[in-house]
Amino acid sequence: MKQWFTLLNKEFLEMARNYKWIWMPITFILLGVMDPLTTYYLPEILNSVGGLPEGAIFEMPEPSAQEVFIMSLGQYQMIGILIIALSMMATVAGERKSGVAQLILVKPVSYFSYITSKWAAALILIVVSLFLGMLASWYYTGVLFEFIPFGTFMESFGLYSLWLILVLSFVILCSAMFMQPVAAGMVALVTVFISTIIGGSFQHLLEWSPTQLLPYVSERLITEKWPEHVWPATGITLTMTVLFVLLAIYIFKRKELAD
Amino acid sequence: MELFADINWALIAPILFIQVILLVIAVIDLIKIEKTNGPKWVWAIVILMVNIIGPILYFVIGRRNQ
Repeated sequence: MKQWFTLLNKEFLEMARNYKWIWMPITFILLGVMDPLTTYYLPEILNSVGGLPEGAIFEMPEPSAQEVFIMSLGQYQMIGILIIALSMMATVAGERKSGVAQLILVKPVSYFSYITSKWAAALILIVVSLFLGMLASWYYTGVLFEFIPFGTFMESFGLYSLWLILVLSFVILCSAMFMQPVAAGMVALVTVFISTIIGGSFQHLLEWSPTQLLPYVSERLITEKWPEHVWPATGITLTMTVLFVLLAIYIFKRKELAD
Repeated sequence: MELFADINWALIAPILFIQVILLVIAVIDLIKIEKTNGPKWVWAIVILMVNIIGPILYFVIGRRNQ
């Protein structure tokens, strides 16, 4: 256990040296506040850009606070996932390429603690960044539109973070599978985006799919009720997360021995 | 000019502030780092010229992680 924390500390140190602890939270905060601000100031922005004929009146439906907040989540769904995949694709593949992994593994360090310490460090970074980002989004939505109850906000954060943790675990699995970080990142991104598209198109068939977590969070925010299939979907998301991590350890072990 | 008066600066200022932090850290890192993906001066232009997205792009793809 002591060794595991040493490895975790090594990961945190590396993240601090890469400035990940600064730019990831800032990026997530900027992503979160962008939508509330642009939606609120849209009439002014259109006016100042001009191009509208004199006297043209634009009746824009005022979106509800919940809708604006859901728009911010949409940002994480696109750009957030992109950032997670690109910044984490080298976690295992990069270290193996550069030889750091071999240096660590000649010592009595188990494959299990090697992978899980990396996974845990990345998880903590992403969850903290997401929390700060969503909190900023919640606050800006509250000031500019209307405050969503804090409890509802925390629930949507909890549920949505599970989805991003699953994405992270998959990125690490890909990173253990491929020697090239770029290949790992691309495979992870394509798979995640294709599965969200499939999940979105066959919503009624794939009710328990982890890709439904975002639609369920939206539904929860708008209707104030938990959708019917949210708990099975959560259970499957957690199970898949554990499976991906275990699979990453297994594949990494076999690859390591093969090289 | 009335546009500037309308804006709630209490909301905009924190965002400008963290944006500047991001920019400064990207510049410091670019100066200290030995090698980047692609020429260094291109990254300097990207960081300084492309608002918000420039520094983020640098951190995500410009830095050589190892």
